Amino acid sequence: MLALQILIDGFAISALYALGAVGFTLIFGVSGVLNLAHGGLMLIAAVAAWYTAGELHAGQYIGAITGLAFGVLAAFLTYFVVVRPIQRSRAIPRDETEIFVLTGTLLWGIMIQEAVAYFFSDNPLTVPALISGVANIDGVRVPFNEILVAVISWLSIGLLWILVNRTRAGKALLACAINPRGLTLLGFELGRIYLLVWLIYGLLVAAAGVLLATFLGTSSGNTGALTASAFSIVVLGGLGSVSGSLIAAYVVGYMETLTAYLVSPQIRTIPSLLLLVLVLYVRPQGLLGRR
Amino acid sequence: MTARLVVEGLTKRFGGLVAVRDLSFEIRPGEILGLIGPNGSGKSTAMKLIMGIERPNAGSIRLDGVEIAGWPAHRVARAGVGLVFQHSRPLHRQTALENIKLALLPDSLTRLITDHSVTEQARAIGESVGLGRVLDRYPHTLPFADLRRLELAKAIARNPKLVLVDEPFAGLTSAELADFSRLIAHFRDEGRAVLLVDHNVKGVAALVDRVVALYLGERIAEGTAEEVMRDAKVRQVYLGGSIEMHARPAQLNAARSLLEVEDLSVFYGKAQALERVSLSVRAGEFVSVVGLNGAGKTTLFNAISGLVPYQGRILWNGVPLAGQSAAAIARSGIVQCPETRELFGDMTVQENLDLGGQHQPPEEERKRLRWLFDLFPILEARRGQAARTLSGGEQQMLAIARALMMNPRLLILDEPTLGLAPVILEQLSQALERLRETTPITVLLGEQNVRFALSHADRVYVLEHARIIWEGLPEHFAKEAGAAYL
Amino acid sequence: MSRRTLAALVLLLLLIAFPFVASGYLLGVFTIAFYFGVFAMAWDLLFGFAGEVNFGPTFLIGLGAYAAGLLNVRGWPILPAVLAGAVAAVIGGLLLALPALRLRGPYFGLVTLVAVLLLQQVIVIFAGVTGGEIGLSLPDVLSVDARKNYWYALAFMGVSGALLYALSRSPAGLILQAAGQDPVEAQALGFNVAKHKLAAFSISALFSGLAGALMVFYLGTASVDTVVDISVTVQVIIAVVLGGRRTILGGILGAVFLIGVGEVLRPLGQLSTFVVAAIALAVILLFPDGLIGAFGRHGREA
Repeated sequence: MLALQILIDGFAISALYALGAVGFTLIFGVSGVLNLAHGGLMLIAAVAAWYTAGELHAGQYIGAITGLAFGVLAAFLTYFVVVRPIQRSRAIPRDETEIFVLTGTLLWGIMIQEAVAYFFSDNPLTVPALISGVANIDGVRVPFNEILVAVISWLSIGLLWILVNRTRAGKALLACAINPRGLTLLGFELGRIYLLVWLIYGLLVAAAGVLLATFLGTSSGNTGALTASAFSIVVLGGLGSVSGSLIAAYVVGYMETLTAYLVSPQIRTIPSLLLLVLVLYVRPQGLLGRR
Repeated sequence: MTARLVVEGLTKRFGGLVAVRDLSFEIRPGEILGLIGPNGSGKSTAMKLIMGIERPNAGSIRLDGVEIAGWPAHRVARAGVGLVFQHSRPLHRQTALENIKLALLPDSLTRLITDHSVTEQARAIGESVGLGRVLDRYPHTLPFADLRRLELAKAIARNPKLVLVDEPFAGLTSAELADFSRLIAHFRDEGRAVLLVDHNVKGVAALVDRVVALYLGERIAEGTAEEVMRDAKVRQVYLGGSIEMHARPAQLNAARSLLEVEDLSVFYGKAQALERVSLSVRAGEFVSVVGLNGAGKTTLFNAISGLVPYQGRILWNGVPLAGQSAAAIARSGIVQCPETRELFGDMTVQENLDLGGQHQPPEEERKRLRWLFDLFPILEARRGQAARTLSGGEQQMLAIARALMMNPRLLILDEPTLGLAPVILEQLSQALERLRETTPITVLLGEQNVRFALSHADRVYVLEHARIIWEGLPEHFAKEAGAAYL
Repeated sequence: MSRRTLAALVLLLLLIAFPFVASGYLLGVFTIAFYFGVFAMAWDLLFGFAGEVNFGPTFLIGLGAYAAGLLNVRGWPILPAVLAGAVAAVIGGLLLALPALRLRGPYFGLVTLVAVLLLQQVIVIFAGVTGGEIGLSLPDVLSVDARKNYWYALAFMGVSGALLYALSRSPAGLILQAAGQDPVEAQALGFNVAKHKLAAFSISALFSGLAGALMVFYLGTASVDTVVDISVTVQVIIAVVLGGRRTILGGILGAVFLIGVGEVLRPLGQLSTFVVAAIALAVILLFPDGLIGAFGRHGREA
């Protein structure tokens, strides 16, 4: 009974983690950006959905779509206002671009967090469940929405896989992650590829934000934690490795669920953090990462 | 006299690649040894192994009888080895003098004050390498040659018994070159053992006592510079097989000028990579640019492809290319197949080719793919395989095929023969020959392999030290320019 | 005496005399800013000189603060508690750095970040001992007089700044800078890069721990929000980048600016953090060399 509960909850949470982390790893793999405003972007999507669905009484579906739209918008803003100016700045030495992008996106994330807290709310926000009702799986009560969250997460990841592996644009993305110079020589404008990848990233991060808000709720106070969890999952799986991120999301998701149920919800994140430290010491490139 | 440095059975593997295989040689005090080989021959790796920057998988390195193989670099340095880096990265907020002082410091955490004697010592070292007048200036104000002198000063500051010099003359003018030769020769007079690492014998011939030639990680020749230059294997590696001249069917030759390069200059920081280079390529022509590594071929091609900023003009069909993105230039028909190949390693052969054909209409793409599989049958057999699992020769063919998928009007081939076995070279030759006989394509080929370059050229340019020094027909090359080569 | 030294002396005298004209409230703001100045300088030693991006300065600060606080609760007087806090930070820092310095690029930063998250969790879990999220009240404080607190902080910052600056300009600092810029070349010049970086980490930990411990004795409480939270890390990093990285003393400028602007904007309430972050982002985008860099060549040689 408890085992099944853990199995089901862990699966749904992990699916959501995977969705969040896949976007993070995609944007790093293709454009080399570690976006520390990741949690902030999730928050924007969640707030937009919450505001439209709740405050404007537009219903959860319109709310979800609005959330997606604002997530994408926020992703583009991040790129055009923070990331690209830093990458193009002549005053910033090449080998320091990384730390500047980290610092810049970190500040940007704080700005998002504070703006949301000020203009909307710093209380936890919950978007109404996309579908109501509760399923009974072998004696364990599971809200339909929880199942839907897992399904949509996996559907999104599946769509991403098809896009990357089965379409021409996706192939170009993949090629850009492997060798941007080679792609330039074949007549592809990298600028457009980056736009495309930020669009896809925006969709993924927004979906993760909206789903999180319907499932567990979110608040401006835990945007940092959201970024940190995506970051650690991605590093655990291996920076830039999508399949590594998926596996790591499940490892972390289940470890947290197990700890929360069996030990104490208070320390749910500790075992996975310890695992991360251990993996970094033994295998710095992550589970599936290549040097 | 006994040897100062004895290297025996040195081997280094990177994953599956053997970078250095069972390498042995000696250097005596007061001797200059040249370690030469083309790119990828393992010479730089061998140098890093001696310095302790990389750890060998097997073999022994003895300095005055002491086994130093596998020691960390700082211990090797303290044992009396100095390395002159090719690229200098001095401390920018310290003067040249302070940079030299750095090299004189003990490896101590508690040394908080420098003695006056250290300053005097640093000044003397700086003066000995010709930096006397600029010792109080900051590195970013120094010309390129002085930055190299600074590297030299740092490497010899602690009076090493063995000095390793990585590409001693790269980026220097001929006047500076003579100066540096004197400095290095002076190391010999001081009784140091010197290892010069360079691409070709010619550059170091006047300076070295002995040469060891490397190819694909193995020693292929050893002796005086003259002996090594006469060596059949070395000649094979650098000059390739026998010359065959092919005339192109006349109807494919048009006289219209396709590409004009006028007074092209390129700088990397302070180093001048190209100096007022002009050349032209007519439609349907095969033009070779011959030059040693570091002469500026890749820079020339990258300027044409819009990958590096330049001064001067590049006209494509009479229209200046300046201001266009590299990708737009590629789409307009100037397609470069770079020396580094730039394949998408984790993607399959088919996927690599598809990416090359993405800008073509689907029907044209299919047609080109069939044609290329006919041109390089091995690629069809390997179409589902990841590009990085291919052999070097297959990768080169894939790189060329991928460029051809773009339906180029001008194909730029940079060092296609680099590191390839003779049999692959032959296949590549035949493929180029077919292109020449059956298509109207124009080719600009950069090579250090003279025979290969000549056999695929209607006209030849020779590039040396950033300048074009000869231009003419391939059949005149041997008489007019060949002597200066190798 | 050069004009710059003279200017620095005048500034120092003004700072020392400041309490005679300023209100207690303003002195409090500066006191906090001075401790942050030390955090920032200690961080710049690692980032600007050793070339390592430490995302966990608050791991070191927090260790110092909590170790000192917990000992004080158990009856240790202030001075031994502060020193023990510094020792705890150095030991913790070494335990973290010994394995972590083997890691390259973002991985080192990540491990240090994770260390902070773990410390934070531990403090919350052992709330019985540490006071948890409410914080740990200390029996003793440095002083109840705002002026004295100000002078203590100023003296501590002055001494720390002088020592760290001198270190950065010493032969050992030169080696550290070489190691941070190009570790391979530094090794080929005969320097044990790992040793020097580890030493830099220890020194950074020492000053971070001292500053953390002193600051909680000024505040009278140690809490996660003031000495461990990621937001403190963010402020430290911003202070350095804002003031000018690789200058050590720029950290003071950045910290005073950051804390000062935060106070000026306090009427904005929650929005003040937003504005501070926005200003910092603008500075990073427009003047990547920071305030010192923006004021001319000065910074280049400082």
